[in-house]
Amino acid sequence: MLNIENLHVEVEGKEILRGVDLVLPAGEVHAVMGPNGSGKSTLAHVLAGHEGYNVTQGRILYRGHDLTAMEPEERAREGIFLAFQYPVEIPGVTNANFLKSAVNAVRKHRGEPELDAIEFLKLARDKLALLRMDEKLLSRAINIGFSGGEKKRNEIFQMAMLDPQLAVLDETDSGLDIDALQVVADGINALRRPGRSILMITHYQRLLNYVVPDWVHVLVRGRIVKSGGKELAQELEAKGYADMIKAAAA
Amino acid sequence: MMNADSSIAIAHDRFIAIAHDRFAEAGTPLGGVRLPWLESLRRDALERFRRTGFPTTKVEAWKFTNLAPLARTDFVEAIAQGVADIATAVVDGYRLTPDCHLAVFVDGRFQPALSDLGRLPAGTRVVSLSQADEADLRLVTAPPAVDDAPSARALVEFNTALMQDGVVVHLGRGAVLDPVQLLFLTRPGAAPRVAHVRNLLVAEAGSSATVVETHVGLGRGVYWTNAVTQVVVASNAVLRHYKLQAEDEAAFHTAATSVRLQRNSAYRAFMLSLGARLARNELDVLLAGENGEARLAGATLARGDQHLDTTLRVEHATARASSDQDFRNVVDGRAHAVFQGRIRVAPDAQKTDARQINRSLLLSPAAVADSKPELEILADDVRCSHGATVGDLDKDVLFYLRARGLDEAEARATLIDAFVGELLDGIEGEPAQAYLRRAFADWTRKGARP
Ligand SMILES: Nc1ncnc2c1ncn2[C@@H]1O[C@H](COP(=O)(O)OP(=O)(O)O)[C@@H](O)[C@H]1O
Ligand SMILES: [Mg+2]
Repeated sequence: MLNIENLHVEVEGKEILRGVDLVLPAGEVHAVMGPNGSGKSTLAHVLAGHEGYNVTQGRILYRGHDLTAMEPEERAREGIFLAFQYPVEIPGVTNANFLKSAVNAVRKHRGEPELDAIEFLKLARDKLALLRMDEKLLSRAINIGFSGGEKKRNEIFQMAMLDPQLAVLDETDSGLDIDALQVVADGINALRRPGRSILMITHYQRLLNYVVPDWVHVLVRGRIVKSGGKELAQELEAKGYADMIKAAAA
Repeated sequence: MMNADSSIAIAHDRFIAIAHDRFAEAGTPLGGVRLPWLESLRRDALERFRRTGFPTTKVEAWKFTNLAPLARTDFVEAIAQGVADIATAVVDGYRLTPDCHLAVFVDGRFQPALSDLGRLPAGTRVVSLSQADEADLRLVTAPPAVDDAPSARALVEFNTALMQDGVVVHLGRGAVLDPVQLLFLTRPGAAPRVAHVRNLLVAEAGSSATVVETHVGLGRGVYWTNAVTQVVVASNAVLRHYKLQAEDEAAFHTAATSVRLQRNSAYRAFMLSLGARLARNELDVLLAGENGEARLAGATLARGDQHLDTTLRVEHATARASSDQDFRNVVDGRAHAVFQGRIRVAPDAQKTDARQINRSLLLSPAAVADSKPELEILADDVRCSHGATVGDLDKDVLFYLRARGLDEAEARATLIDAFVGELLDGIEGEPAQAYLRRAFADWTRKGARP
C-alpha cells in the first residue's frame, strides 16, 4: 500500500526527515512512535501533500505510484486521509456543506454517483452513530466551539465518511480523556478492514492498548531507528525514548 | 501635465457654470412648486460647493479616495434624457420578489408605469420626490445628521443644488411595510450621465419596514449616481435598510445616507457594495434618543481596478444607545477597498455600547485595503471596542480543505463564501437575505469565469 524509501524532507530549509524507510502493507495497522519534534507530523503532512514540506530525496510509493508530485486533493481523491493533530477551525463553513463537497469530490473521482442531500444525510447519520456524535454537528461550523476531544472525534468521523484506503492518524489520542479515547478507539477499530491500511502516529503507547497495531516503528530525529512487533510499544512505555535518542545521536 | 487637484478645480468650475445656467433658466422647482426657502437653500448649497470644490485627498475624510477621475468627466444630467422605455422583464430581473412593493427609477427619474405601488398598506406612502409635501421637503433637505468639515460634504451640497427626483417613503404611526424595494436603474448613454437622486425615509413612532435599495446599470458605460438619502426613525420604530450597489463597472457611485434615531428605535443596515469603478458609500447615524440601536453591516467585494469606499460616522448623542459596525472587504486584482469608521460618544452619552470591526481578505498581491477607525469617546462610563484585520486566505485552512478532496478553486471559494456568508446571515427577512445572497453568488460566478 505504502512504500516510503529514503525520504528526506526539508521545512523552511531545515532537514527534518533524514532518510525514512517504511513499508505499510495493505490491510495492516502500523504505529509510528517517537518523542516530540522527531518529525512525526512532518511525515504526516508530507504524505498528505502539504506544500510547505519539500521532499529533497527519496520517494513515496502509494499503491505503486509515486505521490511526490501529486496535489493534496488528488491524494485525497485517491484514498489518502490525514487526521490532523491540530484540526483547523473554519468559521462560516458548516460540517455538512464541507463534507458533502468532500465526499462527492472523492466519489466523482472514483466514478461513483454523487450523493444528494438525503443520501448524504443518511450516510452521515450512520457514521455519526459510530462515533457517538450528535447530528447537530452537521449544521455547526467546522470545529468552531469544539473541545479538543470533539475535534479529534470529528476527524475520525470524516475518515468514516470519506472511506479511505490509507489513513494517517496524527496523534488522534492526544488531549482525550479516557472515555473519549475509548470512543475514538472503537471508531478506529470499526473502520479497520481488509485492504485498508492505517498509520497511527502517537507519542504515547496508550492508544495502542485499544487499537492494537501489527507493527511499530520508532522515529527519532528524522529516522526510523527501530521497528518491531507490538511489544516494542510496551518496551518504549517502560523505558522511554532516552536510550533510542542516545543511539540515534551516536 | 496637470496634477489631479488642478484638474479637479477646472472640472469644478465647469460644473458650477452648468448649475448656474440651470438656475438662471428654470429656477429650482421640485415638483413644479416654487418654494422660496427651498430655492435659497439650493443656491446656498451651490455657493458652498463653489467655495469648497470637489473634495480632494487633502480633505481628511477623503484621503483614501481620489475623485479626480470623476471630476475630469463631462457629465450631462441624466434626468433631462426623457421617459424610459424599458421592458418590465428587465425590471423583473432585479426585483426583490415578484410581488414586493416597488418604486422604479430610470436615470434618476421616477417611473410610475414600471413601479408597483398599488397595494400599499394603510398608513404608508411611497411617492416620487416631485409629489413630496413641504414637510417632507424640509426633512429631505435637512443637513447631515453628523457633523463633518464642509469640504467633506461637497457632494451632498452639489446634490442639494441639483436634485430633481427621488423617493419618499413615509410610514405613519404603527404602519408596517415589509418589504418595499427602491430600484434605481441607469442606462449609460452616448455622453456620461449624472443623476442627483434625493430620497427620504421616514418611520413614524411604532412603525416597521424593510427597505431594499438597489442600484444597477443597464449596460456598459460611464455614468454617475450621486444619491443623498435622509432617514428618520421615530421612537419605537424599526427600519431595516438593505442596499445593493451593483452599478456598471465603468460607473461612479457616490451616496450619503444620514440617519436620525429617536428613543427605543432601531436601524439595521446592510450594504453590499460590488459595482462601480469608483464608489463612495457614506452612512451617518445619529443616536439621538435613549435605547436607540444601530446595527450596521456590510460587505465590499472589489476586483479588477475597482475602488470602493465605505465611510461611517456614528454619533452617540444620548445615553444608553448602542451601535455595532461589522464590515468586511474581499479584494482581488488591483482593487482598493476603503473602510473608515468613526464613533463619537458625546460627554453625557453614558452607558453607550459601541462596537466596530473591519476585516479584509486580500486575494491578490496587488489588492489593497485601507482601514481607518476613528474613536472619540468623551463619556467615561461606556463600552467601546474596535478592531481591524487584513490578511489573505489562511494556508493551513486551505490545506485542510484540499486534504479532504476539494480542489484549490473550490477551497478558496468555500472560504470566501463563508467570510461574506457569515455577515449575510444577519440580514433579517428571508426575501432580503436571499436577494443579497443571489447578488453575492452572481459576483462569485462572474469572477470564476476565465
Ligand atoms: N511548519 C514548520 N516550520 C518550521 N519548523 C517546523 C515546521 N513544522 C515542523 N517544524 C520543525 O520540525 C521538527 C519536527 O516537527 P514535527 O514533525 O511537528 O514533530 P512531531 O510531530 O514529531 O512532534 C521540529 O523541530 C519542528 O520545530
Ligand atoms: Mg506532531
